[in-house]
Parts: sequence; structure tokens; C-alpha cells
Amino acid sequence: MTLTDPHPPKAPSGPDGVLARLLDHPARGSRTALVAVPALALLGALVVGGVLMAIEGVAPLSAYGEVVRGVFGRSRGLSDTAVVATPLILLALGITVAYRARVFTIGAEGQYLAGALAGTAFATAAPLRALPAAVLLPCALVVAVLTGAAWSGLTGWLQSRFGASVVITSLLLNYVAAAALAWAVRVGIRDPGAFTPQSRPVAGLPDLPGTEIHLGFLFALAAVPALAVVLRRTRFGFRVEVLGASPEVLAVNESRPAATRLTVLAVAGAFAGLAGFVEVAGVTERMTPAFATGYGFTAIIVALLGRLRPVGVLVAALVLAGLTVGFDEAERVFVIPSATVGVIQALIIVFFVAGDALSRRKAG
Amino acid sequence: MHTLFTLATLAAAIRLAVPVAVAALGEVLTERSGVLNLGLEGTMLFGALAGYTGARLGGPWLGLLAGLGAGAACGAVLALLMVVVRADQIVTGLAFTLFAVSATTYLFELSYTIGEPPPRIESLSMVPLVAIVLAVLVGVWFLLTRTVAGLVLTAAGDAPGAADALGYRVARVRSAATVVGCALGGLAGAMLVCGPLGLFVQNVTAGRGWVALALVVFARWRPGRAVAGALLFGLCDAAQLRLQGTATAIPYEVFLALPYLVTLVALMVRARRSDTPAALAIPFVRGRST
Amino acid sequence: MPLPSGTPTSDDLVTPAAVMLGIRRVFGTGPAALDAVDLTINAGEVHALLGENGAGKTTAMRILAGLDRPDAGTVAVGGAPVTEFAPRALRERGVAMVQQHFTLVPTLTAGENLAMARPRGRLRPPARQVRRRVDELAARHGLAPVPTDVPVGRLSVGEQQRLEILRALDADARLLILDEPTAVLVDAEAEALLTVCRGLAAEGRAVVIITHRLGEVFAGCDRVTVLRRGAVVCAGELVADHDRTSLATRMVGSAPAAARSRVVTASPGGAVRLRLRGAALRRLQPLDLEVRAGEVLGVAGVDGNGQAELEELLAGVTGAAQGTVWVDDAPVPIGAPRERIARRIAYVPADRYRRALAGPLSLADNLELGRGPTRRPPKPRREAQAAPALTEWDVRATGPGAPAASLSGGNAQKLVLARELAAERALVVAAQPTRGLDPEAARMITERLLDAAAGGAAVVWFGAELDELFAISDRLIVLAGGRASAPFTPPYDRAAIGMAMVGGHRR
Repeated sequence: MTLTDPHPPKAPSGPDGVLARLLDHPARGSRTALVAVPALALLGALVVGGVLMAIEGVAPLSAYGEVVRGVFGRSRGLSDTAVVATPLILLALGITVAYRARVFTIGAEGQYLAGALAGTAFATAAPLRALPAAVLLPCALVVAVLTGAAWSGLTGWLQSRFGASVVITSLLLNYVAAAALAWAVRVGIRDPGAFTPQSRPVAGLPDLPGTEIHLGFLFALAAVPALAVVLRRTRFGFRVEVLGASPEVLAVNESRPAATRLTVLAVAGAFAGLAGFVEVAGVTERMTPAFATGYGFTAIIVALLGRLRPVGVLVAALVLAGLTVGFDEAERVFVIPSATVGVIQALIIVFFVAGDALSRRKAG
Repeated sequence: MHTLFTLATLAAAIRLAVPVAVAALGEVLTERSGVLNLGLEGTMLFGALAGYTGARLGGPWLGLLAGLGAGAACGAVLALLMVVVRADQIVTGLAFTLFAVSATTYLFELSYTIGEPPPRIESLSMVPLVAIVLAVLVGVWFLLTRTVAGLVLTAAGDAPGAADALGYRVARVRSAATVVGCALGGLAGAMLVCGPLGLFVQNVTAGRGWVALALVVFARWRPGRAVAGALLFGLCDAAQLRLQGTATAIPYEVFLALPYLVTLVALMVRARRSDTPAALAIPFVRGRST
Repeated sequence: MPLPSGTPTSDDLVTPAAVMLGIRRVFGTGPAALDAVDLTINAGEVHALLGENGAGKTTAMRILAGLDRPDAGTVAVGGAPVTEFAPRALRERGVAMVQQHFTLVPTLTAGENLAMARPRGRLRPPARQVRRRVDELAARHGLAPVPTDVPVGRLSVGEQQRLEILRALDADARLLILDEPTAVLVDAEAEALLTVCRGLAAEGRAVVIITHRLGEVFAGCDRVTVLRRGAVVCAGELVADHDRTSLATRMVGSAPAAARSRVVTASPGGAVRLRLRGAALRRLQPLDLEVRAGEVLGVAGVDGNGQAELEELLAGVTGAAQGTVWVDDAPVPIGAPRERIARRIAYVPADRYRRALAGPLSLADNLELGRGPTRRPPKPRREAQAAPALTEWDVRATGPGAPAASLSGGNAQKLVLARELAAERALVVAAQPTRGLDPEAARMITERLLDAAAGGAAVVWFGAELDELFAISDRLIVLAGGRASAPFTPPYDRAAIGMAMVGGHRR
């Protein structure tokens, strides 16, 4: 039709309303708009949380005061926050890359487990155990990264070869990884001396000098600007943006979309695998059946709250981690149901999703 | 090995399959209309809590009814967000489920005093529950294959543009399908709690909603196969529980992973000639061809 | 072909099936798609609506079917004015349109599609009943039956079209509109369709066929209306009063081709830069073509006759199903954009927002597509680097960082050219480059493309406006029915070219 549509369609149509426009919309010059919705969502959630606490007979302001003191007032507050934030940052960075390309994987949890398992298996294997930690740990990290990348790459392969939905296959693989974890701690890499199923201990990551934060946090901090540079200053980052904006334009003018999709999934998996093993070596020391705490899903929320930007992800992860740590402390002082922090965090997400969608309706 | 395949195992399998089957049937309706509801797990949780509360107030049947209602309410919220506001379905569903896990734990903790264990409720035996599953199966099958409404629902998921051209309001159809699907999800959660389990704990559904989602793909969006698949999942679940105590050559974790592996393989074999509703997870906007 | 007999004429004192008066429809800020269009369609006749691309035929009929609303003017159906423009409302008034893209649900069977369109009760009728209903309908109106228990997606195109018509007849449509129905049919099916249309007219219904093929008009239609650039140039006249030439002339206009605005620069001995041998793809039949350095080859024809396929072949978007496409004695790289650029092939796609520009990305980013180093400089430097190109090409926007979606049509096209013509080119594939542009932008685009030719490139220009093509082409071919005519050379014979455009009917 020649005369009927001289104007471009507003946004690419595809399997995602808000998420798509999340990438197009934020008025490029307006940082406030970008930050406003997550900030308001946070505020709203805190207010509702306050109301809930008040119903329970706890003075909300004092409780929040205690939360703040738990993070900033204690000597360990900030370091605890950093430690809790580390896996979230790494996972969310990987998800950011994938989601910017509009590849919606929800397999971070499985990739996290797979990477952690592989790294632990490597580090606790019989002949390798004896190696000095300075050699063993970096190698194990590499193994974890590669395994996570492969686990995620499997999703990519299934999509390019069979057209299977990334969402579905990544979800299914989470379960397979969970089963592998169950078997591994019971049989595969089990510590023969332990009473309950768990792996042997893995040599710990050293702490950053002068603090009680393990080296993993440094990886996470370093990854933020590194990813920002990759996204903004490399060809690959450019292709991610173009793929997210229009796969057809990419295919006609730049490169084949399938290659970029696969790479993006591998990168997301690599970050997840790294996060997994860092968590073992830095925090839990061993792998147990309880290792899967759902970080992979929380990280999706962190990535969205962070507006799919590395710096935003860092801030969002720190805020969520701070809430967790602060509430932990506050619960010692006040009688607050332990589920409160979970509700508040969940409300942040819910308000964010609703608020973001509504703000787009208004913008048209 | 033959201890595996006793009647006891079969009974366990049915018991495990029942809530998943009902949730999957609901999700079949929702997805056939074009909505991918990742909030199913959350809906089941709300249904479970409502079921427990209802059962404490007025017996297990009231609990089931409460579950149905809570599910429908969740469905209304999700439909509002995903269909009317057209927020991203994946994000919304995930956020809802994460919210539900915390919210149900919180609400549950409110309802009892610390120190006292929460009371068990009178539970239903398997017979009425299986009857409900069969009734829901027949109902969903009938709706999809014998009524005009079922045709319109399928059209909304496969070719919403065509349905719209005929004058059917795609948003309304999808909203209705989401509400009904979630009501069934809530019922499933209530069945879990009011059935042999007889109590509610934090995160009682333990991922069954996600299993139901995988099950819908495995069943190629057909209700009969969804129930059969639920039974298969239930068998694997029962098998792995059984094997946990014994020392065998096959680790029980294989059975944990088996249903998902089978689904993955099924996707590999037939994904090209796909039965996936063509417009699944794509919000419908008139004027953009689907 | 003999005229259909027994067709009522306007002398019958019957209320017309539909009357459109003074219809005006404008999209955005472009020229009017329809301007003061008056159209009368009588019951019991087969009415042809004839015109080129963009003449307004489909727009007018979409309004009649309630799929669009006029900006001005009135529509009356069966004597009563239309107040609500919605598909359901017009369907209830007896108007049904079979569009080029079918609105059937491919995963449902024919019977299920019918049941959905006109449900009788809440339950679905059993399969046997449905089959009888379909067979009966088909028999009553002289259509071949359609298999009823197969998902519609597996039916042939002809069968799907029949089903669309059956669905309309099931609703007792009194006015049936068919949009380019024979475009997807083979000859035998097309003839059968025309027979069916005559039969429907004999029943007292009105049938409107939108077409650009004269063969059909003379084979099966009673009256014809010709639209040109949104205006009526021939209103409901009897087909019997015309011959091919007169209708073709009406369609494409009769003004002699304007004096050519450029001098042919291609020297007869210029190197052949583009060579096709037996290249075929989908609707494009095997094609032989040669274009020399500095030559502008115009490609005319109504959309859907192989232009999109040829465009894709030349740009290397898709590979040829048969035959070869060579540029500078090497095959065109397929699916490898960077190689295409390295081979100096410029591609200005017809669908610029789908293929050439990524809306959310900035102007600077769009200029970088397919070009640019692996290590990208920081954004301010990239934007600074882009600025001169934007000035040179007069792309008006708020800045190099503005999203491409914010550009008007003309500026967007200038951006595409700024990228594609940045360096000397061997081949320029320009598909509808001035479509939807204001005259000033169109003029600039034309100039720059001609400059590229002057610089030694072979330019292939797919155009819709014959006047434009006449002004810039060194040679002109017409695509019709997937085949290319022999090349025309200036001075261009408008009538002959018009005839070539409408003659097409696959053999």
C-alpha cells in the first residue's frame, strides 16, 4: 500500500509489551523519568510495608530506623550488604545483556546451579584438590563460567535448531539443574565424612583486605563498568541493541541474528555460572541441597528495576540486598514477621510493573 | 525394582498428580487464548491459603470453594495487567509469583500465634478429588471441542486478527480465559491443601505451578494429554520418593529430572510443526497483523 | 470474450446496492488517498474497480466494508445511510469483503471457521451437519466444494478464498467485495471465480472486483470504475463501451511523458555491472537482465508482480531459487550484509522502517549499521562524527542522538541514503525511494540517486509513479505476472507501458 502508511509503526511488535518499550521509551534525555518509576515503586512498597508493620503493633518509623542502622550503623552492615548483593549483581548483569536483545530467558537459576556445581566438582575432585588455592580457584571459576554458558547455550541451540521457545526451555532446564544438584550433593561430589548430603568444602575466596567482603564482590563491581563498556563501545554491544530493536534490520544491514542470540545467551549463562561458584567459594563453602535460593528469579527483577543498565543493576541489587540485611537486624530488635521483607521486595516489583505499564499508557 | 510399581506407588502418583492436573487444565485454557501465565504458581499459592482458611472456617468443601474464588481474583488482577494494560506477560507473571510466595507466607504467619502449631484441617479423601479432576477435564474438553466459545478462544490464541475481524473482542476472551484458568489454579492449590496433606506451610506448592506450565507444553495444549502427563509426572515423583529410601543403581534424581527431559525432547522432535498457539504471549493490538 | 448476458442496467429502477458520495480520506500529512470520490454500485452487476498502485481502490472499499472511516462524504448501503463504520455493522447490512490477507483461523477447519462466523447456538454442530451446510452453500452458488475437516492452513490458496466467499454468502452478503482475488489463483481457478461472480450477480447481489488486470475486466465484469491518484477518472461506465487501450489510458493517464530531466550518460560501451541469468524466486519468473555502469534501469509494474522478489535478489537478502545474480562478475553475497557493503552494493529498501532503520536507535547508530569499527568510539564522538553526514544530506532532526523513529518520512529516507550512498557504489538498489515523501525531499533523493549513477553505479529503481520513472530511467522494464517485458527506451510510450502493466496473466 503506497499512500496509506507514510508513518512508521510506533514500536516493534513482538512477544513483549512493556519490556519492548522499556528499551525504546525512556526519553533519552530524561534520567529522572528513568529513575522515577523504580524509586516510586520502592517508596510505595515501603509505605505499604510500614502499614503492615503498624498493624502488627510495630512503629514503622522506628523499625525502618533500625533497618537503616542495620546497614549503615553496624560495622558489618555494609559488608553484609555487599556479600548479599554480589550474586544478584552478577546474575542481573547477564540477564541485562539477554533482555536488551529481547531474548527472554528465565533460566538464570539453572545456570547458576550448573556453574556452581561444575566449579565445585572441579575444585573438590580428587587429584585437583591438592593444588594450591591460588591456582585451583581461578581454574574452577573458569569451569563454572563455561558450564553456565553452555547450559544457557543449550537453550539457544534448541531455539535456533528447533524453534523451541526460549522461555519454556530455559524454565525446564532449571529443573534439570535442580535434579543434578540433588544428586551431586547426595552422591556425586559428596563429602564422605559429612553426615548430611553436602559437597566437600571448597577453598574460600580471600576477603578484600581490611574488610569482611569476599573477592567476589570485586568481580561484581568490576563487571559493572566492564559490561557497560562492552554494551556501549563494542560491535557486539551494538548488535545486541540492534537485535533488540529490530531483528530484521539487523539481518539486512549488519549480521545474522541467530549468532547474536546465541552469544547473548552464552554471556548470560557465563555470568550466572560465575555468580554460582562465587557464592560457593565466597559464602557457603560447600554445596548443599539448600543452595538454590531463587536468586536467579530475584535477579530478573533486579535487572528490570535497574532499567537494564549496568549501573542501575548495581544500585537495584544493593538496595534489595540492603533491605534484606537491614531487616535481618531489625527483626532482632522488633517483632516483625520474617516474611515482611519478602513482601516489601515483592511489592516493589509489583508496583514497578504496574507503574511502568501505566506510565507507558499515558505516554502513548 | 518391582517394589516401584505397586499399587501404593500408583496411589501416590495419583495423589501427587491431582493438583498439578487441575492447574494444568486451567493453564491450557489460558494459553490457548494467547496468554502465557507465569503467575500460575502464585495463583496456586493464594488458592492454597484460601483453601486452608476456608477449611478452618467451614470444612474442606468450603476450602475448595474459597480456593476457586481466590484463584478467580488473582486471575482478574493478572488479566487486568496482562491483557488490558498489556504489561509484559513474562515479567508480570514472574513478579506475581514472587509476590505470592512472600504474601502468602506473611498472611499465614499472621493467622496463627507463634508457638502453637497451626491446626490441621479435616481433609478430603482421594475419591472426591479425583472426581473433581475428571469433572474439570470433561468440562475443559467440552468447552474447547464442542462449544462455539471454545472456537473463539482458540481463534484468540491462533489468529486474533481473524477473531477481531469477525467482531469478537479478543481482550475480553483472553481476560475471561485468564480468570477461569486462574480460578482452576486456585482450586488446584486448595485441593493440595484440603486433600491428604491437610495443612498449609510456607511455599506449600513447592513449584507445582511451574510443573503445570511445563506440563501444558508437554501436552501440546490438549486437556486429555495434560491429565495423562500429570499422571506421568506424578509417577516420576512417586518413583523418586520411593527410591529415596532404597539403595538402587538408578539414582532417584533421574526421576526428578525425567519429566522435564522428556518435555525437552518432545520439543525437539515436533517444535517445527508446532501446536503452540501462534499468538501466545503476544499482546493483541488491532491494526498490527498477527 | 463475450459479455455476460442478462445483466441489469442502470435503467432498472432499483435502489443501488451502495452509493459513496464525496468520499475523502487522508492519511497523515501526505496527499489525499481519496479525493471527492463518487461511486455507485448496482445490484445484480459485477463491478470492476481498476487502478494502479496507490490509486485508492482498496482504501475506498475498506471504507465501504466498515474497516475504515471517511474523513468526509457519505456512504449509503441498500438505500440507507451508514452511520457506524465497523466491520460487524456493515456485515449486518450485507456487505462483505474478501481481503488480500485472509481472515480465516488457520488451525481450525473450514466448518469451524464458518461456525465461528455465524454461530447457530452455543454448541458446535456435528461434523456431518457442517459438511452438508458447506456443500449446500457451494452447490447453490456454483462454487466447487471445500474440504471441511482439514485445518484451513492446509488448504490451497484457491480453496481458502472459496471458503472466504462461502463464509460471506453464509451471512447472505448482498454486496461482495473481492480485493485482487485472482492475484493468488491459476488461470483455471480465476476463470471459475469469474463465473461464480456472474452467477452471484444473476442472483441479484452486487459484486465488486478490485483489480489491475484488464483481462478480468473484459472477461467477467459489467461496469468499470477507474481510480487514479485518489480520484475517479471513469465512473461506473459499461465495460462494453471500452476497449483495452481506453481503459489502460484511463489507468495511467494520457499526458505525454514530460521532457526528460536527465541526459543519458551511460556510454554504450560501459561495463556491465549487474547481470541476471535466469534468476527466479517465488513469483518472479526466470529473468535475464543486464545493467551497465552509469545506467538507471526503471522497474514499473503493479505491486505483487515480482518486484519484492527482485529487490531481495539484488540486495542479497534471499538467494535465487534458480539462476544467478552477479555484480561486477561475482555473485551477490546472500544473507551477509557486511559483505554486500564491501562489494559496494547499496540497498534502499521499500519498507524503510522494517528493513533499513531501527526506530529506537539514534541517527548516529543507524548510520553505523554494517559499517564502523569493532571498537566503537564513545557516544559524543560518534555523534560528532555523524553530524557532517546529517548536514550534508539535510537530515532534519533534533540532533544525531535523536531516535530514528522521530524522523519524518523524507528525513528518514535521507538518512538511509546518507548511509547507503556514503561511498562510491557499484550497484544501487532503490525500491520506491520517493514513496510517501514531500516533493522537496523527493527531489533531493532523486538528485542524489542520479548522482550515484553519474559516479558509475548501476542503479535499479523500482517505482510506482510512471512520470517519475519516465523522468529518470535510461531504460524501463515492466513486471507483470512475474515476467519482465522487453525494455522500453525513451521517448516512453505511456499507453504501451500501461498496457504492459495490466496485461499480466500467468500462463
